[in-house]
Amino acid sequence: MSAVTARPSPLRGDFIKLAAVALAGLAALVLFPNDLGLMTRIASSAFLVVSLDLVTGYAGIATLGQAALFGLGAYAAANANLAGLGEPILMVAVGGLAGAVAGLIFGAVVLRSRGLAQLVLTIALVQLVHEAANKLSDITGGSDGLSGIDVAPILGAFRFDLYGRTGFVFALVLLLATLAVLSVIVRSPFGLKLRAIGRDPGRVRTLGAAVMPALLVTFTLSGAVAGMGGAIEAISTGVVGLDSVSFERSAMALVMLVLGGSGSLYGAVAGTAVFMGLESIISAANPFHWLIIVGVLLIVVVLFVPRGLTSLAGDVRRLLAIFGLRRDKR
Amino acid sequence: MTALSAAPTAPILLAPAAPPALAVEGLSKSFGGLTVANEIDLTLARGDRVALIGPNGAGKTTFVNLVSGLLAPSSGRIDLAGEDITGLSDVERARRGLVRSFQVSRLFHGLSVREHIELALLQRTKRTNQFFAAIGRMADIADEAAELVERLGLADIVDTRIDAISYGQQRLTDIAMSLALKPKVLLLDEPAAGVPTRDAGRILDVIDALPADIAVLMIEHDMDLVFRFAARVVVLASGRIIFTGTPAEIAKDEQVRAAYLGVYGREEERHGR
Repeated sequence: MSAVTARPSPLRGDFIKLAAVALAGLAALVLFPNDLGLMTRIASSAFLVVSLDLVTGYAGIATLGQAALFGLGAYAAANANLAGLGEPILMVAVGGLAGAVAGLIFGAVVLRSRGLAQLVLTIALVQLVHEAANKLSDITGGSDGLSGIDVAPILGAFRFDLYGRTGFVFALVLLLATLAVLSVIVRSPFGLKLRAIGRDPGRVRTLGAAVMPALLVTFTLSGAVAGMGGAIEAISTGVVGLDSVSFERSAMALVMLVLGGSGSLYGAVAGTAVFMGLESIISAANPFHWLIIVGVLLIVVVLFVPRGLTSLAGDVRRLLAIFGLRRDKR
Repeated sequence: MTALSAAPTAPILLAPAAPPALAVEGLSKSFGGLTVANEIDLTLARGDRVALIGPNGAGKTTFVNLVSGLLAPSSGRIDLAGEDITGLSDVERARRGLVRSFQVSRLFHGLSVREHIELALLQRTKRTNQFFAAIGRMADIADEAAELVERLGLADIVDTRIDAISYGQQRLTDIAMSLALKPKVLLLDEPAAGVPTRDAGRILDVIDALPADIAVLMIEHDMDLVFRFAARVVVLASGRIIFTGTPAEIAKDEQVRAAYLGVYGREEERHGR
């Protein structure tokens, strides 16, 4: 094959990034044995931010209502559990399914509009879901939240322990599996079309590709991922509160995505980990002004690293190439 | 014996009776009281090379938008290879082989040249709904992409992001995408506009070498390029075709000079129509 046909293999890069997430997770397990609750919340939130990335970073549709899908997944899994479903893997499946259905409906509504009106529509939807959850206390526990979730050992073998070790490993493994599947999808022909739609949907149409069905599929997929995250959070914390379907949660997810770098699955994961990690450290150090510090940090990132933290990796590579420390590919 | 030897040539003799690649009949479009396309008739045979010229605001891009399905006509009919496509969406028209480019390149920020071409190839071969296939393992896509990249001279930058290459190279990528769709009819909206002279030659070469079976309609202001490219020139003014002829006839015609050519260098140019 000539130089032209030889395509740089993207799979190797994906594998390295996936391995990095796995290593970081294992390191967290060893280094922070007392903070595994936080680590698990980072993992479940990463599902939310990754799901947002699919819709916003890849398909180019900004939404401030993504937590609606996350929370609906959590409520569905919790209700399934209260109805007698103990197996956590099945609970995650229920959460994913509920999220997928919610995502399809969410997409069908949101895609009728465009631009700012669309963004407002996403806010309206998440507020609507939030208010409905508040009112339907029979199935959501209202403002008290749903508690009493009693999870059986995973596959009947791995019992959830007091330190949250099982819960964290469970969340980490599912996150890795999800990332692996999504890495393949975003590099597939469909993923290529999706990235193009995110840049200029009108141009994609002139190539003969229908845009709306592809976006609906993406919303459904995104809902499934978000719903799985919600279910994992319900399983690991044992409660589901109204905050899981809130506008605030949705907006925070967008902040984490911008921080890590949108349009990259691993940017979404890195943004979640960095934001929530910092949030935890700074809020412990200064319980009164921590939000200010986080805000300033965000402004610095947006101004100086506009493509997100993960874009720094590419910059470092280029620097190394300039100094001849790394052979440039071209 | 004569009957036998004549038989194989019969289909070729019938060929001229095949429907034209594109037939536009009485196409009109008005926005309120403003008529931007007025009873336009235009036929493109297979392999035709037609230039569409006219002063600014004559309705050239509007015409391309009407034909490609971005705008719905007020009245009239459009046939593609003998099929009525007037009621079809832009997506459906593109699928049937009616492909256009834009006056200002519309490409996908962040995607590489290769990815642009692959997307068009995958779309033509109806594979963009595959979720788990690896594009890198599709040998036919790789071969066809390599062939296009070679033909358009994009080999050196094939893995460069589209935002990091010159405008001329972006124009070439745009054309490569159009060719990857294997169109029956190609509508080019000022393919060399805004391209520095250094890169323009490359684009002209590519236009000269467009596959012979594609019918091409090109909007162009540069008369040198029009004379070089077109077998036939159509002049549009105020949404109406005012002249059709060979480039040589166009250059001689008084009406055209008044409406278009003569306008250059004069005050009226800025006022368009």
